[in-house]
Amino acid sequence: MIRTIAFSTLLLVGCTFAQSTWFGGIAILGIAPDISILVLIWVSYRNGLVEGSVSGFISGFAEDFLSSSPLGFHAFIKTAIAIVTAILHGSFYIDKVLLPVILGFVGTIAKALIAWALFLLFGENIHVYSIFSIGLWIEAAYNGVLAPFVFLLLGLLSSILETEHRRR
Amino acid sequence: MSDQQHKVAGRGRRAVVPILLATSLLCITISTRSIEGIPESIGLTIFGFFQRGFSVVGGFIADTVSSIAELRKLRINYHELSTKLEKYTNIERGLADLREENRRLKEQLGFSNDTTYQRIAARIIAKDPDNLYSTLTINKGIKEGIRKNMPVIAFQDGLEGLVGRVVEVGRGTSKIVPLYDMKSYIAARLASGTRTEGLVGGQGSPDEPLIMRFVKKRTKDEVLFGDIVVTTGYESIYPSEIVIGRVKKVRVLEYQTSIDIELDPILDFSRIEYVFVVRLEERIEDTGGSGSVGGSR
Repeated sequence: MIRTIAFSTLLLVGCTFAQSTWFGGIAILGIAPDISILVLIWVSYRNGLVEGSVSGFISGFAEDFLSSSPLGFHAFIKTAIAIVTAILHGSFYIDKVLLPVILGFVGTIAKALIAWALFLLFGENIHVYSIFSIGLWIEAAYNGVLAPFVFLLLGLLSSILETEHRRR
Repeated sequence: MSDQQHKVAGRGRRAVVPILLATSLLCITISTRSIEGIPESIGLTIFGFFQRGFSVVGGFIADTVSSIAELRKLRINYHELSTKLEKYTNIERGLADLREENRRLKEQLGFSNDTTYQRIAARIIAKDPDNLYSTLTINKGIKEGIRKNMPVIAFQDGLEGLVGRVVEVGRGTSKIVPLYDMKSYIAARLASGTRTEGLVGGQGSPDEPLIMRFVKKRTKDEVLFGDIVVTTGYESIYPSEIVIGRVKKVRVLEYQTSIDIELDPILDFSRIEYVFVVRLEERIEDTGGSGSVGGSR
């Protein structure tokens, strides 16, 4: 379990660094995809509650240091998304295209909803997506489109990203 | 392991989740009240180091690929530049005479006290990993003399424009909040005509116009499309007369006592690579040089 958490966290933090440094070039109308959310969803769905939430929490904290968000903002969002995904763990079979697209899209919407809930609690320091702005929908669609490819790549790394008893 | 032990271990594992959520909320509570900002600074120092590493690797790969294509262009450019060099050598002779004449005239007109601010050159190495926030990260930090709340400017197409201000400083990297961020407010005025004042704020995206609010309604007919808007210098953060943007549209709402002016930022933020952090406390003599310190890499 610790090995899985360590590798997942490293991958998630790596994705965060990549998003901040490299993904400007693939942004659509200034909106870059959130690959770390896709990785988190995959890890949480495959491994369950503890692995997903701990990896999400640590990588979210790292993201908070790189962002101007309040410390704990991304940590909370990622932990919460990991919990929700882990609840679905084993409920359905993840095919190659359709379900990853849905998970990527819905995961982004969930992120927006959790940010909105935090905004209600903590006020103006929390930035939220506007449902009327095109940014949220571009990001959700972008994540949805990329999800099948990301899930496919993660499947190749399942030996290090999945706990042993889950693989069996 | 017995069933009892399994149950206890399971309960322990589940207990981790509420602890993580509670820790996150506690951090947000502390962070939003801005008690110190020390944890953020330490975190930025540690993670900024790795972020720089990613930036360097990305830059190396991009540079290598593009340099292959560049080689062909370089040969053509070399020949063109040789011709130009010859031309400019002649111009330079004339320029030296003009410089000397300008210096003498300035002396006579009493402009010798003309000053400018010292600037620290830096390169943008990263942007905010999340689309919700709009931070820019630069490759200079405490070691290079950068401090919180220093203004940041950039030059583009021969124009000097405001980028934003420093909000967090690590040892080797710093975070900038650009003027289009939703948290950014800058006291501004029209550069010419009525010198009408207002407060410029962003909408969170460089593609959306800046909004100049609290502009007196009676000035609505005097604001023209394309007018330049500059900083007032009233705050201690930004120096005066730094260009922010150009008037794009005037919004007049009958029920409001003031008008809103939409501005196009003077800088194209998608193209900015290098910026200058301004040290307001240190003024240097205007000797015709750039006045910048530090390398860009």
